[in-house]
Amino acid sequence: MSRQRKGDPLAELRIRIVDYKDEKLLSRFLTDRGKILPRRLTGVSARHQRQIAVAIKRARYLALLPYIKGYTG
Amino acid sequence: MPRPYEVVYIFDPALDEETIGSKLNSFHALIQTEGAEAPVLNHWGKRTLAYQIDRHDTGYYVVANFDTEPTRLPEFERALKLDGSVIRHLVVLNDEPPTPPQIPGKSDSNEEEDE
Repeated sequence: MSRQRKGDPLAELRIRIVDYKDEKLLSRFLTDRGKILPRRLTGVSARHQRQIAVAIKRARYLALLPYIKGYTG
Repeated sequence: MPRPYEVVYIFDPALDEETIGSKLNSFHALIQTEGAEAPVLNHWGKRTLAYQIDRHDTGYYVVANFDTEPTRLPEFERALKLDGSVIRHLVVLNDEPPTPPQIPGKSDSNEEEDE
């Protein structure tokens, strides 16, 4: 019944402030369509989840990440 | 009081580096305050955009870090918006420098900003 709680994956990487320019890292927190994964699935702390959300939105604006993956025209 | 900012520019990839350099100089003249250090530039070069912007598939990325007075920014951003060769730009406050992208197998405990 009880699910195993995993540690914050960002804390494990020793990341304190998430960088919006690091699209490789951010893409780990996206679905295969490019939506932001919920905290229930990412397992990161609330502080990091907020940072990730802002960072992904900035990265999308700069065309480092797509708004929708696999969408053409 | 000056504050640290980070700007990401995406230039039209058709421009040569010389033109981009002179444009950057003219933009940064708008935010230069006396006694302040020159902006730290990081040219990423041409990259494929994740989606088309104004019919462009690639863009020339430049990241600049500098300290300036917040009151200088509106004029600076106005110049960026009016310049047709800047296909996109983003200005963010950089008072808490992010953890730099991971280099596997490297452990450091000091809190340095990237570069």
